[in-house]
Amino acid sequence: MTQTAAAESVTGHDGNVLRVDGLVRRFGDLTAVDGVSFTIAQGETYGLLGPNGAGKTTTISMIAGLIAADEGTVSVVGEAMGPTKIGPKRHLGLVPQDLAIYPDLSARENLTFFGRLQGMAGAELKARVAEVLELTGLTDRAKGPTKDFSGGMKRRLNIGIGLLHRPTLLILDEPTVGVDPQSRNQILESVENLSGEGMAVLYTTHYMEEAERLCDRIGIIDSGTLQAEGTRDELIRLIGGVDNIQLTGSGDTAAAAEAIRSMPAVAQVNAERGLLQLTVHDAPAAVASIVTTATGSGMELSDVQISRPNLESVFLHLTGKALRD
Amino acid sequence: MRNLFTLLRTDLVQRLRDKSVIIFAVIVPLALMGAMNLVMGDAMDGDLETATVAVSAPADDQLAQTLVGVLPEIGLDVEITETDADDARARAEAGDAKLGLVIPEGFSSALMAGQPAEITAIRGDGAGIESTVVLSVIQGFLDRAAASAVATTAGANLGLAPAQLGGLAQQVATGESALTLATGEASNEQLDPKGALVAGQAGLFLMFTVSFGVLGLLAEREFGTLARLRSMPMNPQLVVVSKVLSSFVLGVVATAILLTVGGRLFDVDFGSPLPIGVLIVSAVIATTSLTFIVIKLAKTSEQASIIQTILAMVLGIAGGAFFPMSGGGVLGTILDLNPVAAMIRGLGITSGGGGLADILTPVLIMLGFAAVAMLIARVVPDRGAMA
Repeated sequence: MTQTAAAESVTGHDGNVLRVDGLVRRFGDLTAVDGVSFTIAQGETYGLLGPNGAGKTTTISMIAGLIAADEGTVSVVGEAMGPTKIGPKRHLGLVPQDLAIYPDLSARENLTFFGRLQGMAGAELKARVAEVLELTGLTDRAKGPTKDFSGGMKRRLNIGIGLLHRPTLLILDEPTVGVDPQSRNQILESVENLSGEGMAVLYTTHYMEEAERLCDRIGIIDSGTLQAEGTRDELIRLIGGVDNIQLTGSGDTAAAAEAIRSMPAVAQVNAERGLLQLTVHDAPAAVASIVTTATGSGMELSDVQISRPNLESVFLHLTGKALRD
Repeated sequence: MRNLFTLLRTDLVQRLRDKSVIIFAVIVPLALMGAMNLVMGDAMDGDLETATVAVSAPADDQLAQTLVGVLPEIGLDVEITETDADDARARAEAGDAKLGLVIPEGFSSALMAGQPAEITAIRGDGAGIESTVVLSVIQGFLDRAAASAVATTAGANLGLAPAQLGGLAQQVATGESALTLATGEASNEQLDPKGALVAGQAGLFLMFTVSFGVLGLLAEREFGTLARLRSMPMNPQLVVVSKVLSSFVLGVVATAILLTVGGRLFDVDFGSPLPIGVLIVSAVIATTSLTFIVIKLAKTSEQASIIQTILAMVLGIAGGAFFPMSGGGVLGTILDLNPVAAMIRGLGITSGGGGLADILTPVLIMLGFAAVAMLIARVVPDRGAMA
């Protein structure tokens, strides 16, 4: 999918398309979102990265005006957002996590229906519907009921409806969940193109690779709280710029672990049944001396792996648990 | 307004494509009417059959012959077979005649003398209401003849001339009654059994038809489209309003079809189209108002279906959808306030020739029902699809 028309250039007074400030939402005793704040500028793709149940969808629901916030504010293009607000919703395109299309209507009818509700009409609507059908690769299937579509086709139409009125801010809530690899790649490519055309994108995911590939800035959310935010590199620097080295082998691994732990470049050593996991400053420079020390201590190595830190490492560092937990 | 029209139009298109509306709002009730007509056809058929009467009457008895001559003129299809007494009895007992009559010898003279005169009537198997009507006519004839005899005797005692006595007897026996009962055009609020069946089933299934609006709202949630609709630049309440309007349109169309087609199939004339239209709209408003309550209570399609079915069966049965219900006191008042009962009563009025002014009471009952339901819907906590 390739977006062909540029988004309208609209921002709030502070230059941001979206400003979220101190959002709180409670469900009974559970605080699902607790003081979340961030901004998104025009043309920026912002990722909310967190595991299932972290509070991503609740945050998005407040931003899209589906539910009211207990505390805090949301402004879209400088206008306060809420369930009964109409003005800011004109700037918004929502692609919900679950499919949001009518199975008994065709793709063209789905697009036309939501286009009308967005205020489009006549030749403009007709042309734009044709454009989005082309964009989503559904022109040939425009007339059939969507209940006969494959999962990937439905997903593409779901996104197409969100894009139809060229929103200033597009919200995509986990759009690749349950999608085959080919459709997933198509979706990711289309999102990459959107920011290039001036659209601000809020993208939620629990896939680290998607956040790293698509997002200019990333907010890491867990238990309803924004743990950290920044660019990928900024987030990785939060954990001190260390690398990981993994040594696999046999022999006297305990002696090897003791010897390696005393080395100045090594920050941390975990030894477990023929496996040494090391946290190391500047791994490329230190790896040769580490291997020498290990073999010199009686460990017979079968494998050595060096890994750079990623968002998974950051999430682990910040929350103490893996993204897919 | 534009958004409301867009929502309504799309909802109706989906309802029609789904076909369940057509099936449950039109085809099923018509089929049910047909089935009930087959099962209870004779009981509901108001037409009287030919009354076959076997009569034994003395040939030279003037009053007996007059009585036999009167029977074919009573407005009922009567087939007379004159025979002897034994055969008249045998025919009635064998079922060949619905009624056997044996008029004794000396019938006229006994009657005019004020002496007891007895006609023997034998009802055959399956005699039916026709024979009862014939017997009533005979009893009336005998009463008049007896009154004539009494009047003649009284005249003679007063010294009237024989010619005057004859005229008096003739006048009493055959004269018009001094009191008359005039039957006007005013309706009696009663439909015949077939009309009641069609109207009752239309009222009952109207309750089901309007439920499609609620189910449509719950389907929006199941399709995931409710969230998307709420993110659209419009008042979110339009979604609910569009579903209620959808129920209203479906209810009006389905009820109009049921009354029209049902009326033609069962040869029922519900009267003038305008008051019928007002009754249909009022009934749909009343039943649709219930959907506001169901929307607030039902979280799933299953819950909505259960609630709506309970409401439909309670209001439908209490309203007389299957058989007439009546009661006195508080119970009677409650039954009268039922929108299904009010619609059936209103259609009874229109079928009897009643106009707009005549159906004011049932219309007010239905609109009042709607107002109360809306008030209840306002105070019921929202735990349903829109919560």
